[in-house]
Amino acid sequence: MVGSFLKLPAVTRRALLVAVVGLLISRPAAAEELLIIANPSVSVTAPLTVTEIAAFYLLRTTTWPDGSRIIPVNREANSDARMTFTLSVLQEDSVSLTIYWNQMHFMGRMPPVVQQSEQAMLAFVQKVPGSVGYISASIAPTNVKVLARVR
Amino acid sequence: MSGSATNPYPKSRGGRRFFNRRIAGRYCPSLQLILAISVLCFAGRQVRADDDYQLGHGVDIGPFNFAGYSELVANVPENGKTSLVLNDLSLFVTGHIGQWLNPFTEVELTDFDFFHSRSLGEERGSGDLVLERLYNDSYLTESVTLRLGKMLAPVGEWNEIHAAPLVLTTARPAVTYRNFSEYATGVSVLYTDPNGNFPNLQLYWQPSGEFSERPSRITFHQYRGVEGVHVSFPFGLLDKVGFSFQHSKDNLGVNQSLMGIDFHETFGKLTLQGEGTYSDISDNGVLHARDTEWAAYIAASYALAEKWSLYSWYEEYMDRTAPSTAQDVLLGIAYKYDPALVAKFEYLQNIGGQPVNRTGLYVSWSVLF
Repeated sequence: MVGSFLKLPAVTRRALLVAVVGLLISRPAAAEELLIIANPSVSVTAPLTVTEIAAFYLLRTTTWPDGSRIIPVNREANSDARMTFTLSVLQEDSVSLTIYWNQMHFMGRMPPVVQQSEQAMLAFVQKVPGSVGYISASIAPTNVKVLARVR
Repeated sequence: MSGSATNPYPKSRGGRRFFNRRIAGRYCPSLQLILAISVLCFAGRQVRADDDYQLGHGVDIGPFNFAGYSELVANVPENGKTSLVLNDLSLFVTGHIGQWLNPFTEVELTDFDFFHSRSLGEERGSGDLVLERLYNDSYLTESVTLRLGKMLAPVGEWNEIHAAPLVLTTARPAVTYRNFSEYATGVSVLYTDPNGNFPNLQLYWQPSGEFSERPSRITFHQYRGVEGVHVSFPFGLLDKVGFSFQHSKDNLGVNQSLMGIDFHETFGKLTLQGEGTYSDISDNGVLHARDTEWAAYIAASYALAEKWSLYSWYEEYMDRTAPSTAQDVLLGIAYKYDPALVAKFEYLQNIGGQPVNRTGLYVSWSVLF
């Protein structure tokens, strides 16, 4: 097999190598590790389970143990981080989630706030008491409380 | 005679108006239209002002969220007036102050005719302002909520999510609103399992009349006491089976005990949903054709493409005052530009019994903002 590869023209070999390296690089990005973060004021003991985090975003748990309001924060719909979070934590399809959140809003429960970038998400959670969000594990979680790691 | 016999086809909140008898000029339409336009302008201004605005999510101002929905409907019934109606313009405000104070209110302008053809015996819809909900939620524990005020009664699924962009069709099956108290003014306890492993439960009790009661011309019955329970067994984010019980007493002294079942089930691109109720009625000297009433509908929708779906429902309705069971079938197509922005085109046909819905074509455009 190696022999067959070496018999290929140099241009073809280079193209194949680029493709393989590209695939190797892209795989970790698809399974990006996320940090679940919360405002430092939040009084819970980490780590939390995926089920507990999902309950915040599905609006089943709406207050922290001290009675303050939980403000879940989402990334924009087409971001990789949101796709990873939706698949690994919420485990629902995005269309059903949108319908569900619209229904819950009409019934008096606020859907997650949306932030358009990782920096905006981090800044929001740093600033707003009771907020909970997620960022890439490659970002330093400064001035926030890390509740869990998910992949 | 019962209330339904004196006013058999009033408008129901959140539903399509089919047989409305209205007293023209009793309300000030221009004032309400100005209010409607003001609300739309306010919403539009906020949309532009807030970069993070998402359609359907409303606007946050401090601990309050201001949102709403509207529905514009073109009606072309076989027998009756052709009209272009602002069916609903609703504004709802959600407040989150803390564990004990979480107010919610919804006010709705309903049934405002922009245009209508002349039809004998039917008046122009000049709009009514209706207080839909006004309550406070206190979170007793992580899973138990105490609700005080005027709320929607949890009978079936449709009544609680009746906003036009959130429901399947423009023409609402009669079983989803007509034969029970849509509201409860009083106290309610709600249980929601944070992990979703146990059924959701809501108990409610209305000791006397409805707060800010709707006039008899736009409702089927006026209730003086309501109590009930709804249990919902979720087996997915949207899929569930629910059971309802409601006991009520209306202003004529008629007691009604209703049992109901509702379901919502998704199979890939196909979604099935339905509701059914059976009521036992003690006439208390009020004459009815029978002392029971039952109704059921089943609906199917199929996603043709990402934004297009085909839908249909079939309903049978045995009204307490009617000599025979009404049978209606509806077929329609919907275009969802966004889950919060929906256009629907549908045709409803009465195929038997005394109609509870009007045969005809209905086209609507609705938005949750």
